[in-house]
Amino acid sequence: MVERAPDFVAVTPLGDFEPFTRGAGDGVGVNLSVQPARAMVQLFARNGKADDVAKNLKLEARPGQATICKNFVTFPLSSGQWLLVSNADDPEKFAPAIEKKISGIGYISEQSDARICIRVSGLKARDLMSRGCRLDLHESVISKGFCAQTQMAQVGVLIHQVDDAPIYDLYVYAGFAKPFWQWLIDISSQFGISAENKGE
Amino acid sequence: MHQIDCPWCGVRDETEFQYQGDATVIRPAPDASEETFFKYVYVRDNPKGWHTEWWHHLGGCRQWVKVVRHTVSHEIHATGRAQDKLPVPDEGPKS
Repeated sequence: MVERAPDFVAVTPLGDFEPFTRGAGDGVGVNLSVQPARAMVQLFARNGKADDVAKNLKLEARPGQATICKNFVTFPLSSGQWLLVSNADDPEKFAPAIEKKISGIGYISEQSDARICIRVSGLKARDLMSRGCRLDLHESVISKGFCAQTQMAQVGVLIHQVDDAPIYDLYVYAGFAKPFWQWLIDISSQFGISAENKGE
Repeated sequence: MHQIDCPWCGVRDETEFQYQGDATVIRPAPDASEETFFKYVYVRDNPKGWHTEWWHHLGGCRQWVKVVRHTVSHEIHATGRAQDKLPVPDEGPKS
């Protein structure tokens, strides 16, 4: 008799928490939201081909600025390296489509399950960020579209300012997502939190 | 606390970097003597003054950054990419 392998179910590291609202003196100051899983690829240009890759995909090659493309958002990670996050509904087609466009001048690494996206918004979002992020996120310095890799609570984070409200998307490696999430909850407790889970 | 000007990311705090040692040592030829390789791997100067060194930007772009730093005052004179040749001042730090 052939034993059947168990059915594995794809889950996110933050899939099991219950949404909650915990007000402080001034009500809810920070909204934390685990975003739905999206297809991601890391894109590398071959030596001397960074400009060609940027041109083919219409990407921003300079640091600190995300590019909003038709079906994906692009973050420059380093010289000749980008992280591409899909907005499309068919995640399985994303990596092959990108690979096709950069054939011969670059290569990709599938990263869909590697990072979790946490959205930070609310009146006190910038105050929360200033507690753990050493970058100057003041509105006079950065604006919508800003992105940077840095560390918060000793965890590597890719920060993307989605809106000037401000709204930040924090991309954290899946293995660090749970302790990072707990740190976010702890450090934002004085502002009042609303936490929701849009992940799977 | 150092603030290091990463050629890609811009000025970042030292906590994002990891010190990786002397950037002036050059790998000997494959047929060099054992003693030469021993010195290359293990022996380092401990200068009092300007020092060209590697810092790995682990918390950012993950590139290796070359830094000219004064070992007494910790003033950073210049930073650059791995392939850059950075000028080393003849004199001491400004302050």
